[in-house]
Amino acid sequence: MIDPINHYTPRWLGMAVAFGVAALIMIYLSYSLPRLLPGDFVISMYSSSQVTLTSEQETELRDYYMEDPGFFKYALRLAHLDWGYSYAFLMPVSALFFSALPWTLLLLGTAHIVSMFIGFVSGVEVAWRRGSRLEKGMVSTMTVLEGIPEISTGVVLLVLFALHLEWFPASGATTAYAELSFCAKLIDIGHHLALPLLTLILAYFPGNFLLARNSMVMVIKKPYIVTAKAKGLPGRRIRYAHAARNALLPLVTRFGLRLAFIITGALVVERIFSYPGLGTLLFNAIKARDLPLIQSVVLVSSLMVLAIILCLEIIYRIIDPRVAYEH
Amino acid sequence: MNIRFKKGLFRDRWFTAGFFLAVFFVALTLFGPVLSPFDPWDMSFEPISPPTADHILGVNDGGQDIFSELLYAIRNTVVFGMISGLVALGLGVLIGLVAGWSGGLIDIILMRVSDVFLAVPVIMVLILIAALFRPAPLFLALILAGFMWPTISKTIRAQILSTREAPHIRAAQQMGGSSWYIIHRHLMPEIFPLYLVGFAAKCRMAVFMEASLAFLGLFDPSRKSLGMMISYAIKYYYLDIWWNWLLPPIACLSLLIMTVTFLAISLEKVLDPRLKDTLKESTV
Repeated sequence: MIDPINHYTPRWLGMAVAFGVAALIMIYLSYSLPRLLPGDFVISMYSSSQVTLTSEQETELRDYYMEDPGFFKYALRLAHLDWGYSYAFLMPVSALFFSALPWTLLLLGTAHIVSMFIGFVSGVEVAWRRGSRLEKGMVSTMTVLEGIPEISTGVVLLVLFALHLEWFPASGATTAYAELSFCAKLIDIGHHLALPLLTLILAYFPGNFLLARNSMVMVIKKPYIVTAKAKGLPGRRIRYAHAARNALLPLVTRFGLRLAFIITGALVVERIFSYPGLGTLLFNAIKARDLPLIQSVVLVSSLMVLAIILCLEIIYRIIDPRVAYEH
Repeated sequence: MNIRFKKGLFRDRWFTAGFFLAVFFVALTLFGPVLSPFDPWDMSFEPISPPTADHILGVNDGGQDIFSELLYAIRNTVVFGMISGLVALGLGVLIGLVAGWSGGLIDIILMRVSDVFLAVPVIMVLILIAALFRPAPLFLALILAGFMWPTISKTIRAQILSTREAPHIRAAQQMGGSSWYIIHRHLMPEIFPLYLVGFAAKCRMAVFMEASLAFLGLFDPSRKSLGMMISYAIKYYYLDIWWNWLLPPIACLSLLIMTVTFLAISLEKVLDPRLKDTLKESTV
């Protein structure tokens, strides 16, 4: 069966166009939606403050805030990292964004690498032992774990280990004002990272495990695995050198589909543990109704997500050369 | 596509568990207002009191009965998930059918559009809209549905592409059956199991999103919701009332997401022909 779309256009071109349009849509939404808001920005900002404005100042401020730069200029400013000024934190938005970004990358990156690795290895090992009690037990446990959202695991871990037993700190990423040596500082960061990291790993691991196990179960039935067994190759070599590479593919392809869960979960986990990443920044911005900050965090993190999916598409091509030769 | 899928489904214990949990939650949703002993917005009780015979789960900081709150919260979450899932399913089926059946340029355009929708991170759009306009929950459910349809339409389109070559469809065409006749008499009923898979998966996502948005405080604060109950209750952890105030919404939310997860996983397993013998060997 020839798939008409792949038949007419090369796949990479279609993907690139789709991502370009998605990026444009996000930029346009963040440009146009705030302009649809009813009410007057200057009144809502200064009516609750102690400042009394003269009518002259008021018109000046209104001119400043109501100025419409036009979509093209807006996109240009975005590229120059000129994202406006946060009302609640009284700092440039880009400074706030880049101070929060490393913590999010640390938390999410570590959680992903760890859960991907242990999920993949345990999925492959369990699939190799089809029908054993270990397999049945693991699959059942993981199916149940897959049904427990980050809100629940996070809150339970927080109450149990941080608030009740007091083994781990309940909030933040470092101990404030502590003058520590380099090594002690690393340990401190790890200590703060432990609970949010564990929550995210518990959320991502079951999905990775089930996917790896299901695809591995199908791969080991293929004739080339029978051949490898008939040659008398050791089991570990068949599993990892022959089968696992193909079993890895669904983990990469399904990543994009699971992304909605991943971002939402990360926001919630950062909020639960008050981890000073983008999620907490966004939460504080929402609480303070700080529109420029909300707008920029939402937009820039969406653009980053788009870039990540596009990179995955390229990685997918490298680990599965068959894609490039299809049709 | 397996026509006698019902038999296979109830043989899977995950489906059975998910099915009965789903019946339980739908019953709570339908009869929630009748079952709840008090008005959940009534603030006239003694704040932060432990459970008594009248207030099974005690009273929260605002003087509201927690059990009644819980029933209304479940109702809101389930309704949000169902509406969002149903609308996404409707859109996905419609677009998948049109793309798969008509083919050619229409197919290409529709599939490119769904690629764009797949790439947009929907939670960010929801946060932006919720933070700026504070819209009604129904509106957010519809927007979420507007971004969730592409996965459904892609599976449906792929299935239609292979079914339209089947002998009985060819025969119907030869006998002069119109496109509409073939679509609604043959194609739509034949791909019915795919509707269930798509609906369960999308409900799962919608429930998860609703709880998270509510937890982040993006809904109207007077709307009862599991996520919001958790975020209020966790502020009072030091009062040692977590087991009657914090635990019930956490348990309900986990059970609710487990329900849809079990249904989604087992439906996919039973109905995906490639996984069929996996099922026979491992889970029966």
